[in-house]
Amino acid sequence: MLMDRNYLLKILILLAFLTIYGTHSAAVAKVYIDIDAPGFQQFPIAICDFQNKNTGASAPSGFNAVIADDVKNYLDMTGIFKILDKKSFLEGVEPGYPEKIRFPEWTAIGADFLVRGDLTVQGKDTVAESRLYDVARGQMLFNKRYSNSSGDTKSIALAIARDILMALTGDAGDFDTKIAFIIKRKSGSDIYSMNYDASGMSSLTGHQSIVTSPRWSPDGQYLAFTSYKKGRPQVYLRNLKSGSERTVASFEGLNLCGSFSPDSKKLLLTLSKDGNEDIYVLNIHTMQLKRLTRSYSIDVSPAWSPDGQKIAFVSNRSGSPQIFVMDANGGGARRITFHGKYNTSPSWSPRGGKIAYEGLVGGRYQIFTVDESGGNLMQMTFDNADNEYPSWSPSGRQIVFSSRQGGRSRICIMNSNGMKTRVLIENANHLVMPSWSPLLK
Amino acid sequence: MKKYLTLIGVFLVFAFCLTTFSGCADKSAVVRDDAAAEDEAARRAREQAEREAAMRARDAALLTPQNIYYDYDQSNIRPDARDTLKHNATIFTHKRGNIIIEGHCDERGTAEYNMALGQRRAQEAKRYLINLGINASRMQAISYGEENPLDPRSTEEAWAKNRRAEFHLK
Repeated sequence: MLMDRNYLLKILILLAFLTIYGTHSAAVAKVYIDIDAPGFQQFPIAICDFQNKNTGASAPSGFNAVIADDVKNYLDMTGIFKILDKKSFLEGVEPGYPEKIRFPEWTAIGADFLVRGDLTVQGKDTVAESRLYDVARGQMLFNKRYSNSSGDTKSIALAIARDILMALTGDAGDFDTKIAFIIKRKSGSDIYSMNYDASGMSSLTGHQSIVTSPRWSPDGQYLAFTSYKKGRPQVYLRNLKSGSERTVASFEGLNLCGSFSPDSKKLLLTLSKDGNEDIYVLNIHTMQLKRLTRSYSIDVSPAWSPDGQKIAFVSNRSGSPQIFVMDANGGGARRITFHGKYNTSPSWSPRGGKIAYEGLVGGRYQIFTVDESGGNLMQMTFDNADNEYPSWSPSGRQIVFSSRQGGRSRICIMNSNGMKTRVLIENANHLVMPSWSPLLK
Repeated sequence: MKKYLTLIGVFLVFAFCLTTFSGCADKSAVVRDDAAAEDEAARRAREQAEREAAMRARDAALLTPQNIYYDYDQSNIRPDARDTLKHNATIFTHKRGNIIIEGHCDERGTAEYNMALGQRRAQEAKRYLINLGINASRMQAISYGEENPLDPRSTEEAWAKNRRAEFHLK
């Protein structure tokens, strides 16, 4: 009898173990790298120069190294890879597939993942094949073929980088995004945008007026913003496809642009038309307006939660500007920041739950993140600059912000854990209010 | 008698010479006096012009609305702004036209929050003027946030100057 009970216990333990192990491997299969796990490190990846498929020699144009370098640059931008220097590679790269890979030699230099590829260039037709290997397991994760008929190797590199990210993290990352921001000059300010890889900067407004608060609609169709081009602050809606622009709020007093609803149908606003700076919601199709806050205080900078249920905003109802969260219908407001006397610019993580904001600490503005409940407060920036206006990337893994120190002004991107800050653009003008677009393709 | 006449003649010649001589002296004195008079006139004219300019400036100050200033992150009307607002209200009751009240902030803090704070500053000034009898329909409150500082420096003095409401008659 005693034996039987022990035996039963052993089976139960084994069953429990199997259940846990089963769920674990299912999760691993779904998302290869859990980059949100605490203590996440960057993933060391080795990317070999691509090989000319027919001869094994480098293609005359030097595309082989160029395409590998572009893949490296794109992966580096995501902030989650540590790109290994090819000078450290022990194994020579032999042409052709299937290739014989001595995985221990890649493990020895610290690579967790390995990218190999071949390239064929015939006239304007470029065909690349790329393979991703899990070095530790000695497995190939994918083998894909890419072609481009206009000689554009950058777009092939981007597609490869996107597939690597998809295979390892379960999403396409932030590659097809733009960042809108304000350049303030003496002659006035205007909205500009640039691609996530810092290419393709262009002007979106030519108002040379006071222009602020650019906000993308989540469907990528619209950009809303505030402009003084008619002598006072009004909210405009720019259709990004047609380029047409219309005024959506021109009430007496203050008209300030807030964020869009997740379905892109509604826009949050700060208006003072009823005598007090309060938060309103405007349906941009029916133009129906609804007032959400009614406190005798400044309520400003509303940001919608990704599930559409809540709105974060700034209010000085407790004496100084602080971040509050309320229900989307305007009820149940509660304060979530209690450290510091000046906390503003809330931005809601697309993954939900977390809010980034700027707070005054030691005479400088720094970026913080906090759970929507007010817990888990973390300071993300610490340098001797004013770091302001955080905005999350669509993947929720990165945050763009402006950084100003003396006469130098920058738009920077960091990982959402505050690590690996890189500069997107820097110049002597005043660069402010960066706003990260949704995925645009 | 003849000797007497000669004496008179000598005296006359002497007197004539003296007269002529002193006449010359007198003439140069007159010239000097003229120059002095001209200097005096110029000085008087200049002083008059200065007095008039000062009066005009005083009149202009009396007829021009003055800025009021605010404390950091505050929009309430400070005690020292009350007389200025009364002064401004007197002008507005005697002059026609619409009144633009601009609310401004110093550079510290967030641009968006400062837009709202500037609106509130302008709004508070408007409320005060309504209480002083100025018709609300004549007044428009516009915030410029931190975008139009009077003094671009980053000092306490500049910030104090920049936290203000301006009043413009249109």
